[in-house]
Amino acid sequence: MNHRDSNETPAGGRLSVARVKAHRFGQRALVATGAIALLGSCATNAPQDTWQPKGPNAKMIDDLQQPVFAVAGIIGIIVSVAIAYVIWRYKDRGQPIPEQTHGKPALEITLTVIPALILAVVGVFTFRVIFDLARTDDTQLVINVTGQQWWWEYDYPVQNEWGITQPIISSGQLVMPAGTKVLLRETSRDVIHSYWIPALNGKRDAVPGRIHTLRLEADEPGIYAGQCTEFCGLSHANMRMEAVALSKEDFASWIANQQAAYQTPAEGTLAKEGEAVFLNQCVRCHQVDGLKRPDGTLAIAAPDENVWSGAAPNLTKLMTRNTFAGAMFDLLRDACRDDVWKADSAEFGAKYLAGVDEACLNVNDLRAWLRNAPEVKPMYANPALLTETNGKYRGMPNLGLSESDIDKLVAYLLTLK
Amino acid sequence: MLRPATVMRLGHHMADTATHEAHVTSTGLSNVKLGMWLFLGSECLLFGGLISTYMLYRGRVSNGPTPEQIYDIPFTSVSSFVLLMSSLTMVLAVAAAHKKDDRGTNLWLTVTALLGATFVGGQVYEFTAFYNEGLGFTTSLFGSSFYTLTGFHGVHVTVGIIMLIALVAINKRSRVPGSKSETVEMIGLYWHFVDIVWIIIFTLVYLIPV
Amino acid sequence: MAIIERPAPGTTVPALTPAAPAITPSRTYGALRRPVATTGWKSWLFTVDHKKLGLMYGATALFFFIVGGLEAVLIRLQLAAPDGKVLNADLYNQMFTMHATTMVFLFVMPMAAGFANYFVPLQIGARDVAFPRINAFGFWCLLAGGIVVNLAWFLGGAADGGWFMYAPNSGPVFSPSKGVDFWTLGLQIAGIASLTGAINLIVTVLNMRAPGMTLMKMPVFTWMITVVQFLLLFAVPVITVALFLLTFQRSFGAQFFDVAAGADPLLWQHLFWIFGHPEVYILILPSFGIISEVLPVFSRKPLFGYPFVVFSGAAIGFVGWGVWAHHMFASGLGPVSVAVFSLATMAIAVPTGVKIINWTLTMWGGKLVFTTAMKFAIGLVVLFTIGGLSGVTHSVAPSDTQQTDTYYIVAHFHYVLFGGAIFGIFSGFYYWWPKMFGKMLNERLGSWNFWLMVIGMNMTFGPMHILGLQGQPRRMYVWTEARAGEGFFNLGFWNLIASIGSLILTVGIGLFLINIVVTARSKVRAPLDPWNARSLEWMTSNPPKEHNFDSIPHVHHLDEFFHRKYEEDPTTHTMREVASAEDVLAELERNADKHIHMPSPSYWPLVLACGMPFVALGIIYSIPVAIAGGLIMLYALYGWALEPATAPESDFDAPSSNGHAVGASHG
Repeated sequence: MNHRDSNETPAGGRLSVARVKAHRFGQRALVATGAIALLGSCATNAPQDTWQPKGPNAKMIDDLQQPVFAVAGIIGIIVSVAIAYVIWRYKDRGQPIPEQTHGKPALEITLTVIPALILAVVGVFTFRVIFDLARTDDTQLVINVTGQQWWWEYDYPVQNEWGITQPIISSGQLVMPAGTKVLLRETSRDVIHSYWIPALNGKRDAVPGRIHTLRLEADEPGIYAGQCTEFCGLSHANMRMEAVALSKEDFASWIANQQAAYQTPAEGTLAKEGEAVFLNQCVRCHQVDGLKRPDGTLAIAAPDENVWSGAAPNLTKLMTRNTFAGAMFDLLRDACRDDVWKADSAEFGAKYLAGVDEACLNVNDLRAWLRNAPEVKPMYANPALLTETNGKYRGMPNLGLSESDIDKLVAYLLTLK
Repeated sequence: MLRPATVMRLGHHMADTATHEAHVTSTGLSNVKLGMWLFLGSECLLFGGLISTYMLYRGRVSNGPTPEQIYDIPFTSVSSFVLLMSSLTMVLAVAAAHKKDDRGTNLWLTVTALLGATFVGGQVYEFTAFYNEGLGFTTSLFGSSFYTLTGFHGVHVTVGIIMLIALVAINKRSRVPGSKSETVEMIGLYWHFVDIVWIIIFTLVYLIPV
Repeated sequence: MAIIERPAPGTTVPALTPAAPAITPSRTYGALRRPVATTGWKSWLFTVDHKKLGLMYGATALFFFIVGGLEAVLIRLQLAAPDGKVLNADLYNQMFTMHATTMVFLFVMPMAAGFANYFVPLQIGARDVAFPRINAFGFWCLLAGGIVVNLAWFLGGAADGGWFMYAPNSGPVFSPSKGVDFWTLGLQIAGIASLTGAINLIVTVLNMRAPGMTLMKMPVFTWMITVVQFLLLFAVPVITVALFLLTFQRSFGAQFFDVAAGADPLLWQHLFWIFGHPEVYILILPSFGIISEVLPVFSRKPLFGYPFVVFSGAAIGFVGWGVWAHHMFASGLGPVSVAVFSLATMAIAVPTGVKIINWTLTMWGGKLVFTTAMKFAIGLVVLFTIGGLSGVTHSVAPSDTQQTDTYYIVAHFHYVLFGGAIFGIFSGFYYWWPKMFGKMLNERLGSWNFWLMVIGMNMTFGPMHILGLQGQPRRMYVWTEARAGEGFFNLGFWNLIASIGSLILTVGIGLFLINIVVTARSKVRAPLDPWNARSLEWMTSNPPKEHNFDSIPHVHHLDEFFHRKYEEDPTTHTMREVASAEDVLAELERNADKHIHMPSPSYWPLVLACGMPFVALGIIYSIPVAIAGGLIMLYALYGWALEPATAPESDFDAPSSNGHAVGASHG
């Protein structure tokens, strides 16, 4: 009745002027977005920066997302500027109440179709990347990854072409060859976890009862930080990990060392006494391959009898890793750690393979852990509260070790290289 | 003198009000009927979720008997038929209510309730038999999801029976608030819905092999 | 109570002065007689009036908003510096779980329900909702549910599995406290409120519109609420099934999420997100509705492209069902599912964009008045746009695998839910306060309230974009220096900024609470039509009478009220006033209806809802208590079934002749 649907209202004319202005703003926005992106790539960022891909999979994601971020930024700026303009232009200065126009379908449809087209283009590229990232047929090395509260276990199945003639079991740090298409096969022993090394690829959940795959490939040797990203209970925040990429030669020597036979400490040393403590206490849950009891039988850990998830980190060659307790703590003192973490890719391999020696050992955290693990990392390991798990621990309990036992154990652990 | 919003207790019978309101709805459907349809729409999703859970888990028998081992198809077919027949008697009750035939309404409502009770009795027998054959609620995923789905349906039938009996009791004392035939029709809607859901459950749960 | 006689013509009735009749109920339903109090706390406990219930929903929601907000502040204090010591891991996990649960289920949803209860009947020219007693029952269920969920704080610790409560972490082994039991049962009770509310409001909207109000003449707020109720109608049963299964597992040993027995943990995720994604639109669409009322009023122009806004709202509601798995891009669904859900998610951005365009064009060419309500509405448009655009970046599934479960997502949904839903709710507060209470919120305090909230909100959630893109995951009770990095984008600096921002936000919201008190103590009454409003809810007194309208208006226009006040000048096409709001109201009063039937108060909704917490506590602690609760409920149902919604005359003793007759005191 009182309204007209007309295309020739004054508002229509003003609109097109504004569109030109908005366009100009759009160009500036592009420049601004670019500047921010540049700033982002220059600054010393957090180790888990998602915008600094270090491998082809992450690069694929980054190439896909950068234009999307840019377009989203531009649209955001256009909308904000348009609203700012409207606020300034049409604020009540005593003008009469305007004609009660109810809309312009043509304009409306145009403004609906444009974003739809933009999204269609984005959709096409997204589609391709999704399927590329799901490929498993070009795999060169397979590593099984199992999550449990609150650490990761790595299991390298036998792959003779890589010199892996017996399964290698490790934890915390994933060691892999650089420039190689690695396929992780993920699962979990208790709740859902998620494996995420931002520099190498997006995340993928490790779900109990299912096996999911995740492609990883690092361009250069180096250490790439990661973090469990599916909420997994009490110590979710402390469930970290790193992917360590080594050159193919360094990787071969890492493999060889991992498979090297167990060396028992020399008689009469503190480490030998530590071995006895280990056999007495730790071996109930923690396996050290090749470790023998005094009677000559192999010591086989039985974590399934003590721990709900049925596993505890395998400590064979512990000192070749440089973190422990779900990568919550460094095995290296800060200076030594920085030396490894900040090494350039040519020197990285040698420094990493050097492992942990007594001079570099972060003895404070290790001793605190041995003294009372649940105190330094929240875990369901209180013996009084285990009714739901039939008495099994979730995490390492307080073993009540004496200080002298701890001395011996530290000496012994240092020999596991 | 102004008498703001004075509350009066003039002679307006509830039935009149309901009829009056039924006339002014924008859709022409009465509020209660529309409400019941919406409720049943929501119930579809509820049963949908439970049926999906059962379909996902029916083959997962880590322990105890499998579906093929314990289902007694002839027995369940008979009790399903009984439930199906109760829909027929429900239709008769609604028809009687529309004709304002109080005796007929009460009769058919009672028969419907009895048929429903027979079905629930059959279900109780079936559950007992399954339990004795080793399928408990916590035996396997199949057990958990079977008892949850069929038990949930059984609860729906039971609620229906309670509504039917209550309606007969109230009807006999002529204390049905609102329109009587509409109340009967509403409970009828619910009853038919529960029947139809059973036909789906019977087909999916009992007839389709794992 | 029962029937309201027409008021004397030609007089304004500022507010319902309760008649306080000295009538005594004679008839017993169950064991209880009709409640008759029209003043005092009893008139609230047993009310079935949609406006009182709306206010009760609002007050409850506001209380939980404060609770959830304090939880958020504790979270931010813990994360202000590395290795925070404010909360321990266990308490932190409870805190973020309950923060989300409270904000989603106990603040935004009931607040929207409150607005819907109060204003939908008014906007469509109805005198109440279709099922007033069920409406009351819904409110009490919500309150009971909220109490049960929060009771766990005092009984061994609240739920600690995150609001998404993924299996198997929510199972008895991995979450051994009773918190999750309280959570599942409390939410099932609160879910009843959503379900009954949905049925009630849909029937009300479909059946009880004023003559002439076709669906396409309904105010957009009513439209959006209707879409939301359909979403609730179909989403609530799905989460109910999930909660059901979890309760059965935790309390009765069922194996639904027990992986050792062969269960698939992804079942929970699918059930949860089939509910959870529509839930997102359940949270945001009411606020879209609110600002679609506010923007036209303060632009002095109708909503631009009304049908587009309505249909895009419906489209969002519809497509919202097909995007749930975008919460699961990292769950390992397989590339085909991921691709399909990725594209569907992009598709839903289109109708959302339509709304932003329409709101902007509504203001275009208008005569903008920057009241606090308008400021919040414009704030919503801008902040929601930011949230929507960051949403588009993770509709790109591969990109989402980098962003999901990081603070980038936290930033995204707080821009959508705080900048969107909550700003809309605040806009609604300022806009409708005079309608609900007859007094206007202080605009100066309002302006401070707005600006502090804008600054606080951007300082809190803006840096989270950086934190997330720098790789800080969510739900971590501590963050570590080792992963913080250096330079401009280091996590330490931005975490601190976010925490400071949360304190500013707290001050901003505190100002709103102060504003409520200041307004309540003020003696200044609001004018009849303080905003020069456009829709039917303003065609009655402030606050409205119990029966809302003296005569039901006949509707000819969208923005009926505005068109009764203004006519178009045929030459300039501008609008000129032809009647004041008072004139319009007087016109309605002249034609006041003779007999107005209003539903009567009842005990049964409250009694029925009271049985529920007993059932819940009984399932957790001792089955006999649950049975007792069940008996209370059965008894309440019995009384309810016998009791007519509107009390007939025979329910009460005949008026005595000694002056106690109804209305005599006003005679």
